[in-house]
Amino acid sequence: MWYEILKFELQYRKKRPGTFIYFGIMFLVAFLAISTDAVQIGGGAGLVKENAPATIAFMMAIISAFFMMITSAIMGVGVLRDFEHQTESIMFVNPITKMDYLLGRFLGSFLVLLFVFTGALLGFILGEFMPWREADKLLPFQLWHYLQPFLFLVVPNLIFSGILFFIIGALSRKMVVVYASWILLFVLYQIAGAMTAELEDKDMAAILDPFALTAIQMTTQYWTVAEQNSMVIPMEGSMLINRILWMGIGIAVAIIGYFSFSFTVVRKSIFKKKLKASEEKANTQMALPKVQFFHDFATSLAQIRTLSIFYYKQVFKSVPFIAMAGFGIITLIINSFYIGEVFGTFTYPTTYRMLELIGGFNLFFLIILVSYTGELIWKEREARINLIFDSIPMSDAIALISKFFGLILVFMTLMLVLIGTGVLIQTFNGYYKYELGIYFAELYTDVLFNLVLFSLLSFFIQVMVNNKFLGYALMVLFFITSAVLSNWGVEHTMFQFASGNLGTYSDMNGYGHFIPGFSWLNLYWFGLASLLFAISIVFAVRGSEAIIKTRWRVGKLRLTKPLLTFAIAGIAVFFLSGFYVYYNTNVLSTYRNSEQQNAQRADYEKALKQYEYLQQPLIDRVSMHVELYPYERDYQAEGTYYLLNAHQEPISQVHIQLNPEETHTYDYVRFDREATVDETYDEFRYYIYTLQEPLAPGDSMRFEFKSMYQTKGFGQSSSSTDVVFNGSFFNNSHFPAIGYQADYELSDDDDREDNDLEPKDRALPQDDPRGLARNMFSDDAIGGIDFDITIGTSADQIAIAPGYLQKEWEENGRRYYQYKMDKRIEPFFNIVSAKYSVMEDKMTIPLDSGATKDISLEIYYHEGHEYNLESMMKSMKESFAYFSSNFSPYQYRQMRILEFPRYASFAQSFANTVPFSEGIGFVLKIEEEDDVDVAYYVTAHELAHQWWGHQIIGANVQGNTMLIESLAQYGALMVMKQAYPQEHMQDFLEQELDRYLSGRAGEQKKELPLYLVENQQYIHYGKGAVVMYALQDYIGEDKVNAALSKFIADWRDPKQAGRYPTSSDLITYFREVAPDSMQYLISDLFEKIVLFENKTEKAEYSSLADGTYALNLTVDSKKFEADSLGNTEPVAFSEWIDIGVYTESSSGKDSLIYLQKHKVSDGENVFKIPLDAKPSKAGIDPLNILIDRNPDDNRKSASEVDLNS
Amino acid sequence: MELKINKLSKTYGNGVKALQDITLEIGTGMFGLLGPNGAGKSSLMRTIATLQEPDTGSITLGDIDVLTQKEEVRKILGYLPQEFGVYPKVSAEILLDHLAVLKGVRQRKQRKELVEALLHKTNLWEARKKNLGGYSGGMKQRFGIAQALLSDPKLIIVDEPTAGLDPAERNRFLNLLSELGENTVVILSTHIVEDVKELCTDMAIINKGQVVLKGNPLETIDSINGRVWRKTIHKEELDEYRGQYQVISDRLIAGKPEIHVYAESQPGEGFDPVEADLEDVYFQKIFGHQGAAVPA
Repeated sequence: MWYEILKFELQYRKKRPGTFIYFGIMFLVAFLAISTDAVQIGGGAGLVKENAPATIAFMMAIISAFFMMITSAIMGVGVLRDFEHQTESIMFVNPITKMDYLLGRFLGSFLVLLFVFTGALLGFILGEFMPWREADKLLPFQLWHYLQPFLFLVVPNLIFSGILFFIIGALSRKMVVVYASWILLFVLYQIAGAMTAELEDKDMAAILDPFALTAIQMTTQYWTVAEQNSMVIPMEGSMLINRILWMGIGIAVAIIGYFSFSFTVVRKSIFKKKLKASEEKANTQMALPKVQFFHDFATSLAQIRTLSIFYYKQVFKSVPFIAMAGFGIITLIINSFYIGEVFGTFTYPTTYRMLELIGGFNLFFLIILVSYTGELIWKEREARINLIFDSIPMSDAIALISKFFGLILVFMTLMLVLIGTGVLIQTFNGYYKYELGIYFAELYTDVLFNLVLFSLLSFFIQVMVNNKFLGYALMVLFFITSAVLSNWGVEHTMFQFASGNLGTYSDMNGYGHFIPGFSWLNLYWFGLASLLFAISIVFAVRGSEAIIKTRWRVGKLRLTKPLLTFAIAGIAVFFLSGFYVYYNTNVLSTYRNSEQQNAQRADYEKALKQYEYLQQPLIDRVSMHVELYPYERDYQAEGTYYLLNAHQEPISQVHIQLNPEETHTYDYVRFDREATVDETYDEFRYYIYTLQEPLAPGDSMRFEFKSMYQTKGFGQSSSSTDVVFNGSFFNNSHFPAIGYQADYELSDDDDREDNDLEPKDRALPQDDPRGLARNMFSDDAIGGIDFDITIGTSADQIAIAPGYLQKEWEENGRRYYQYKMDKRIEPFFNIVSAKYSVMEDKMTIPLDSGATKDISLEIYYHEGHEYNLESMMKSMKESFAYFSSNFSPYQYRQMRILEFPRYASFAQSFANTVPFSEGIGFVLKIEEEDDVDVAYYVTAHELAHQWWGHQIIGANVQGNTMLIESLAQYGALMVMKQAYPQEHMQDFLEQELDRYLSGRAGEQKKELPLYLVENQQYIHYGKGAVVMYALQDYIGEDKVNAALSKFIADWRDPKQAGRYPTSSDLITYFREVAPDSMQYLISDLFEKIVLFENKTEKAEYSSLADGTYALNLTVDSKKFEADSLGNTEPVAFSEWIDIGVYTESSSGKDSLIYLQKHKVSDGENVFKIPLDAKPSKAGIDPLNILIDRNPDDNRKSASEVDLNS
Repeated sequence: MELKINKLSKTYGNGVKALQDITLEIGTGMFGLLGPNGAGKSSLMRTIATLQEPDTGSITLGDIDVLTQKEEVRKILGYLPQEFGVYPKVSAEILLDHLAVLKGVRQRKQRKELVEALLHKTNLWEARKKNLGGYSGGMKQRFGIAQALLSDPKLIIVDEPTAGLDPAERNRFLNLLSELGENTVVILSTHIVEDVKELCTDMAIINKGQVVLKGNPLETIDSINGRVWRKTIHKEELDEYRGQYQVISDRLIAGKPEIHVYAESQPGEGFDPVEADLEDVYFQKIFGHQGAAVPA
């Protein structure tokens, strides 16, 4: 019998257009996703082929997850059709069993579901053969690469979710409940996503995600390009557990559902209220009282009030709304466990962090918005009370206005709930500085305005198409189109609906200069939205006429004076504010979209690349006077560069690169001698001057300029945050430079190809003399510049630049600071100005000569950000002490840390000056116990740059950043090693290892060994830290420091050495201090890409009679060498690797009782270790000193056995 | 006040001619609009109730042009649509109060009195706090009339209000209707002849979008009195009689078909004269024409 029902189901679905529309959607999305850029889902980058199996798997899983809506529709309808059409009584009286009915309907619907999703499979496969696909971005076709993920990812997802939706439909008998349940799955997915932020929770996250997306990400996170291109997702580990778990849950749901489903028409309801009938009898003879009817404006207001509240309550009472809002808030709370994490350390739950967190709710706002605009438009018609409602003497606008107000009230109430949630999260985290003002300011402006605009748009669409589901689809299409258009270069804020953006909140700068742009754009879009709303009022269905022509006929009657006034006002506001926005974005500043910007950079390269290595004078001294007007966001700069001819030939042509941004204008640009402009590249502000009297070798001359930086209008929302009300921070790139600036070149190879440029080498080879003769800041080995600067700023701010303060005074209500550096610095300086509080301290360091030097230590911070000042100060002292005694003495007498607004999240080391973002260290919450102290670490790292980057600066060739960043990492690690226990180091190194391993999976060109690093962050930071730590672990910290100290001594003065040093130079110093037995290690660490897979197979111990223990440890060890694409080859080896044993202390924590290097060979190794204490855990390389693809399985809990038997 | 409908026509998108050149003048008092399902009654009613647009023609209510001064019409309109729903989780009292606000009864106290009076009048007082979802068909219809009376209407349109009601409910409902004031234009559409006969002083029969008869029910009955004949026949003979006579209705009496035949004089053997009633008029107008084409 069930077979008959199945057959009927299939027959029925065959005739439904929905089945084929769904199939078509699947096919199209998959086809477009894989074969064009129009739709982008997942997908590899750089060298990963477009049809790499890992990419296909990910795309398929995404499609099966995000088209849950289709799954819920197909499966829900299968069981709900009878209830919705109220044919259940006809159905249930038939002689069929519950099993027949459910099984038949389920299998029938499921087959349809499978059919629909094969649309995606076909779309992917067919997409591969399209003629426009580029062969070099594709692998040869392999059917299995498509089938495998379909069978193991898509089908299980469908089985689980299909059962779930079917059963929920059967039990609830309501479609809305089915729809709401896919949001639940989505929430689980989001939670899993949030959990991956924490390394330790990754496995759990992979299992928890019902769509297995997280599991795929976790499985492939360390896959190299080669692996992504060749391997299908293996069904093992957490992936396998995930699949089994969710299939199991599916089956359990099916069983529970089967027994709970009641095969009767009337259901017992648990919640049915028993109402006592009123005792009073009706008096049917009662006469109707005379009442007064008002049809005036006040009545309209009363109608709006009543209806708004009515709709508001209706939304709030509806189950799907409660589900959506509830899930949103749950997601929020769970995400709050992972907010603002840096290196496993959490920031304080400041209000702006909370607002970032609440930003996650925006998606739910949009879902609610799209759903409920449709629901409200159809409210009366679905309740079939529309004819009564429509004949009420109420002006035509009132229903729509009230629906709009009702919905906005819902949003405003939800915002209160969100603020409450935010405050609660803050309270639970022990943070009591609730800045309610900021909560309200952001939610009730930025977020609310957006919701208002999109609500008006959605009402408009719903009214015009007069079909709820078509309206939903159009709204979704609208969002997609906006995104696609923006990809295609339609980025202008005047073309992106509701583009007003309040920008990033910073404690230092508040919402700063973002407010005018935000307000005008909102006004602009509100003008348009009002017009749309007026049109909606005209076309709104009232009565039973649905045809647009008839609606227009009726609508014309509604064009009353108030409505016309409103519509015209909307148009006027739209155009007038539009003109003003246009004036700001396109007249006061030139607008270019990213393509045009790229094209301009490409043109620059094409026109001027020829001059890159031209012999030019060098900047020998900079003397500047900058008048900063932070509150106008302007400054004036007068500068003098002393230009030196350090070459053998006289120089007669000088190439001047002025800052090409149009915010800069120039009063004058001149030399101290006659010069004529020979060639002008105005669009790049590049000028070639011919000196009347050439600059002789060894001679110098003055170059002077006066520039004005003016912020005109509010421009695009992404405009510069260099000069702001409080917390300006910019560097010398604002000022004129000499010669061609390679920094302007396009770096992304795809962008270059689009602009007909050859791919660009990221760095010169190490033997290129042009590279060896220059460093990353300057063109030639003359050893920096002399520097002095005077900065005027507003009276309430402190302005700071490199150098020592010479003078400070007030003049004309402004504050002036004069700085001068007594040593040469790299031609790299910054200017900072803000309202600061200052923390001061000092320390003394020993000098080589045996004398000592006092160093003053200062932190310029935003009042209220005192949390980690102590820790930063401590780090400064300990860093300077360590570096000065182990590398070389600190070259300056002062160090200043300067907080700047969190528009960027980094710290940067200038001479005696470190600007430090408020976002990364100042508000971190450091709990000694288990956190890496990021404030301490970043401070140490930046201070180490005073050596690595300011004392030693590498040649501008491959491996350059190893000398700067990897060594700064080393410096920071050594300082931390003294201050923190081993476990902290291990936590930190684990993060760095993760950074390296995930970084190489996303490599765009080629992975290089550390010594050839081409400014690849995952290598010079991530691998650099791990490798340098291993080096000192194997050959000794003292020896490494000795090598570094000697390296500084020899290479500090590049003039003397004749060139800048390279990483290869440094490696020779390491080799000198390393014993012969460790020479291989230096090759492995620096010159090769070597990875281990160490694993502890067995850790068994037995207690001996004398109270000691014998441990038997079996480990498996593999070593691989990888090429630049990540193809790995196993290597035979026999090396010293740590073997470690832990015991559980009385406090329940594991501590190391044994750590020694043993000779380990590839394959299985067995060790017998006598111990005095009972082992709890043991393993190979337990501290993750080596680069290990699977660092988690190095340790294993020890188990007791009788070893004698 | 008089409602004048002049040459009203409406053709739907699917080609159905819902109204064809309808002209009616309706004065105060109860006006019955009789016709079979799909005759165009509801279309006409909706058009009068400002909820639908005719293609051509005009409607005036006193000085008000119904088609353009919709707002003015709505102020004095009480409308009970043929099929309507309610918000199931709201009680009658609350929904009435809500609708009263919307209809312009702004003073809270007056509104309360009005709602209470209406609940009494429609005999919903006992169930006023009950959610509308739990109302029976009759209660729902009474609620419908309550809301239609909220605005102290001068024009009341009730569309098929008695369909699906049991006899007791129907009586209660018709009593309620009959009490409506004399100064009011009440249009009652129905396909149940009895409703009109019992209540209306004036009526029209429409079929296929056209007015086939208008007039006073009693007068129209008089007009065919003496021309209606009755005969009890066998089931098998029905088709045969239909061929021969102008059969205006047939129904089973104790299991045997009894036919009514329209004829100027005694149509034949076995036919007894019957006192014509409105139903005969109705059936004669609806079905009689085809029969007339057949030579008797």
